[in-house]
Amino acid sequence: MNGELIVFLILAILAISSALLVIVLKRIAHRVLSMTFTFFAVAGIYFLLRAEFIGIVQIMVYVGALSILFLFGMMMTDHKLASYTPGRSLAHQLASFVGVLTLLYLMLRGIFSLNVPSSQDISIGTADRIGIELYSNYVVAFEGAGILLLAALIGAIVLARKEAD
Amino acid sequence: MVPITLYLALAAVLFCIGLYGVLTRRHLVIVLVSVELMLNAVNINLVAFSSIGPFANITGQVFSLFVITVAAAEAAVGLAILIALYRNRKSIDVIKQDLMRW
Repeated sequence: MNGELIVFLILAILAISSALLVIVLKRIAHRVLSMTFTFFAVAGIYFLLRAEFIGIVQIMVYVGALSILFLFGMMMTDHKLASYTPGRSLAHQLASFVGVLTLLYLMLRGIFSLNVPSSQDISIGTADRIGIELYSNYVVAFEGAGILLLAALIGAIVLARKEAD
Repeated sequence: MVPITLYLALAAVLFCIGLYGVLTRRHLVIVLVSVELMLNAVNINLVAFSSIGPFANITGQVFSLFVITVAAAEAAVGLAILIALYRNRKSIDVIKQDLMRW
């Protein structure tokens, strides 16, 4: 039991339990808050993997922006619980549960039978290494991502404004 | 040092929780939240292979940046659709949106 493993286990338990709370909790606001905790724990996992830049981006985009976006989406629509109380039919839930559990079992079996050698030199994901890679090999994809964000911005405004209907 | 299989197992568990949420929840916001959980699981896999995989390389982290970009765009457009849907149909219950179902 070294320190890294202990930190990993704490973060993993935090992530999995708050992801389960997203499914289990009753109120929508509590579920969105629990989603934020999951994203925080995943950012901790990134820091543990020495992906510093991705961890910071995760905190900025997911914890900072997406949670607020989801909270606004929840506030501007139907967040009363009354119309959702009887969930899906029991057969539907049972079938989904069994299917997902089978998928999880197969994936975990495949993962733990895997024998991946870990590399000895840990590559540290600093911002300048990612930036050099992004602006040399992936510059076309980077511009494409910019166009995608612009299209999403305009599309979201057009869809959500009042005159649209 | 944590073996890479543990990271992959964590990502698999998170992915399955998200999948179960997509399949069973009725509130559209929660369905979108579950989709975000699944995308995060994918990112964990990419970053784990990029940092401590057999061929450790920065490329995986560049790809996870792109995944984060697409996830942000998807959430923005998804929530805009949700608001338009709520304005038109007065409900964002998933199983009440059966206009194109026969």
